[in-house]
Amino acid sequence: MKTYETYLLDRAKVEGAHQLATYKKLGGYKGLEKTLKSGLTPAAVVDEMKKSGLRGRGGAGFSTGMKWSFMPDITKDPRTRYLAINADESEPGTCKDRVLMEGDPHGVIEGSLIAAYAIRASAVYIYVRGEYRLSHDRIAAAVKEARAANLVGKNILGSDYSCEVFMHKGAGAYICGEETGLMESLEGKRGHPRQKPPFPAQSGLWNSPTTVNNVETVFNAPFIVERGAAWHAAIGTQNSKGNFLVCISGHVNKPGVYELPFGVTAQEILEEKAGGVWKGRKLKAWFPGGSSCALLLGRDVDVVLDHDSLRTRGSSLGTAAMVMMDDHTSMARVMEVIARFYEHESCGQCSQCREGTQWLSQIFHRIAHGLGQDDDIATLEALAKGMAPAKTICALSDAAAIPTLSAIKLFKDELTQCIRDGRDPLGIPAPKYATVGAH
Amino acid sequence: MVAIRWEFRPQSTPPWERTELVKITVNGRVVDADPKLPLIRACHDNDVDVPMYCYHPGLSAVGSCRICQVEVKQGDTPGRVMVACRTTPVEGMIVDTESSKAHETRRECLEFLLKNHPLDCPICDKAGECDLQDYAYDEGQSTGRSNEPRRPLEKRKSLGEVIVLDEERCILCSRCVRFFEEVPKKAQLTIRDLGSRSMVSTFMDRPLTGNYQGNIADLCPVGALTLKNFRFQARVWNLVKMASTCVECSRGCSIQVETLRNSDVKRFRPRANLKVNGHWMCDVGRFAVEHANADGRLEGARVLEGVQMLQTPIEDGLCVVRDALMASKGALFVLSPFCTVEEGRALQELAKRHQADIAFVSPAPNALKDDLLHTGDPCPNRRGLTDLGIVGDSPANLLKRLAASKVAVIAGERVVELLGTSGVKDLPSTLALFAFECHPVESKSLRAEIGIANHVERIGTIVNVNGERGPLAAAKPAPRSVRALTRHLEDLARLSPKKETATR
Repeated sequence: MKTYETYLLDRAKVEGAHQLATYKKLGGYKGLEKTLKSGLTPAAVVDEMKKSGLRGRGGAGFSTGMKWSFMPDITKDPRTRYLAINADESEPGTCKDRVLMEGDPHGVIEGSLIAAYAIRASAVYIYVRGEYRLSHDRIAAAVKEARAANLVGKNILGSDYSCEVFMHKGAGAYICGEETGLMESLEGKRGHPRQKPPFPAQSGLWNSPTTVNNVETVFNAPFIVERGAAWHAAIGTQNSKGNFLVCISGHVNKPGVYELPFGVTAQEILEEKAGGVWKGRKLKAWFPGGSSCALLLGRDVDVVLDHDSLRTRGSSLGTAAMVMMDDHTSMARVMEVIARFYEHESCGQCSQCREGTQWLSQIFHRIAHGLGQDDDIATLEALAKGMAPAKTICALSDAAAIPTLSAIKLFKDELTQCIRDGRDPLGIPAPKYATVGAH
Repeated sequence: MVAIRWEFRPQSTPPWERTELVKITVNGRVVDADPKLPLIRACHDNDVDVPMYCYHPGLSAVGSCRICQVEVKQGDTPGRVMVACRTTPVEGMIVDTESSKAHETRRECLEFLLKNHPLDCPICDKAGECDLQDYAYDEGQSTGRSNEPRRPLEKRKSLGEVIVLDEERCILCSRCVRFFEEVPKKAQLTIRDLGSRSMVSTFMDRPLTGNYQGNIADLCPVGALTLKNFRFQARVWNLVKMASTCVECSRGCSIQVETLRNSDVKRFRPRANLKVNGHWMCDVGRFAVEHANADGRLEGARVLEGVQMLQTPIEDGLCVVRDALMASKGALFVLSPFCTVEEGRALQELAKRHQADIAFVSPAPNALKDDLLHTGDPCPNRRGLTDLGIVGDSPANLLKRLAASKVAVIAGERVVELLGTSGVKDLPSTLALFAFECHPVESKSLRAEIGIANHVERIGTIVNVNGERGPLAAAKPAPRSVRALTRHLEDLARLSPKKETATR
């Protein structure tokens, strides 16, 4: 088994690392100290991020340094700036931020403060998914500890930089993980995403410049500041740098969160980290980055895991949440579950998404229950094309359409057979689901 | 493409709000666009129709219905389909509303909007003026692809005294929600729940309150929000619409009067007029339909013969008035503040000819005043009459002055009501009172009364509190043998020769 240098999960594995004393013993807050005390300007931090090649880990994979540099010039725009940390991790299959927040909350705070310094934010809002109670409590406790140690608040570590950290608990809506939906929710409104432009960097929280970053993204910042951009840029592939967290789940022997550098193959993760497909079965299909990206076939498991390679295979890295499905899986039923998820989580603003996700869900439900009709596949395809790409305010509509289109492309025969025979080809009895809306 | 109905079509940017305009190309035509307003306004101002559901010129744009997608080219980039209500016009932008890409995107969007919309059109009050119906005819496919059951929801949900909500018809454009947030600035409606389960609702199903509820029925692009008093009253294509002015307060909101087959007025609806009322009107004005349709009108003329009032031809009635005025000196003319500028001028001339005093009834302001539209002043043409030089006087004062007079003329719609019905009734019999009123007058001093047309039956001009002129339209014919006051005054002037001629 090949071993790789790790740094993201090192501390989280240590008992008691969520406490300040242990965290400091493990080398914590060195990055923040270096940022604030060695005369690094915010612009220099942003530059460092750009050079390091760090890309956002929330799904879109946008260059973090670039994102920070979109904040308006402080000399021309005196408005208060905010940093919002997106810890509303709810993409199906994704559980990486939770590991960081529960095991290493000070790392999240340190990263947030470096990011806040780089964009000159005077407040950080950490938006934690409502169901993540332990994550919330751990970070809240860590903020308290850090404030007592002058790591959060006025004149951090004796420098002239002040920054507050506030916690916010989500109420269980997937759509609040979308950056503009998150901002609306933080402002106390319904989590309805906003039309862009204006982009958050121009007008975000309370009409002020705002940057929204994923937990894992800012978690990388202290390491890059401490060890240098060159160190980070040396890891990984051409356009994807550094280590990333893979959440592997589904029909594998050892599901979990693993840290790996970009450039390893999915095969390697599956075989060496997750212990292969369970019960000695074959891999039928898999999601490389959560349910919002296109399905891949089992034979595509030889793909190198980075942004470019997955794009060439017609999918995307997303949140690097690999959901593996063995050959005993009914695709009609998989799609039914996924469509039901998006129907449940659509915010209901845009016509295409509100009605489309429901429609997809209804059709997949019928197919999976042996009630498919001949024109269903053509309808599904037309609907998915009407929902994407970029036809709505946010990307939830696309997220429902992309797996649908890929399922139709890859498993058309299976779905057709399912419709023709009026039952699942594998003969698995349909489970009884509660209908959507039956809260 | 389907035309946006004229009553909702916003007026183009008023000159006083014009900023630096940019030049954009819309469907091959170079036009000026205001960069402060969304692209859809530039399209509408130049007679290029882009459908809209969630966008309304009087409200903020959210861009959620996605029906206003047009193809936009900027610089060398290939054309992108964008929502026109959330796109800012930029110099040199090339807009194509009719490209196949834009059409296809809108058609797809429409299919989704119709997915759960019930096929209610035959029984829907909105049919005929429904944006969804119009655009579905225009753009949509004639057959539905959906085999799924439509969502069953409440068909008649009362939202207070004014509005009924049909949840099934709602397309969740959120115009009504934004209206209460942005116009009366008191949020009352919200969208509850998520996704396909979303529904417009008041908080805890409380009834709506306030004087502006009726507007959301106009705003609603489909038949989800309807007025209780207009439900199943008329098919809208049978309504004749006339541009007029509201007379319920001195704001003088621009309205349209809609009458059914030239008989009853069925509704008053606001007309967009950025100088006066924007896009809105208050419920007091909206539901003043009863005033316009009131029964028991005074027809022809009635003259006191001995102890009872007898119906006579109008000419005879006018002669009685003429004779009394000729014989008197220092008569008193009391006008209703509902008199138009034209009526005010004619009465003023008549009063001058007979050396009579003239004043209009000016009651105290009522409690309906608010910050938005209602001025609380019940005199719609106060400004117009004052500008003519006619002064207002309180009802109590005028009654005293009437009681002290020998001959008096009261003229105009609702003049008795404003003076006080009992006060007029108890006027002394020493006074010879002549009335031009819509309804029969009861008074001991009454000598003759002549019926006149009300505010939806005559033309004229009223001037609102800010000096904006508003037209009155003759939207429906007056009852038999009822004519406009101006017509009576013309005849009266013809019948009563000038003083010099009379004495010669």
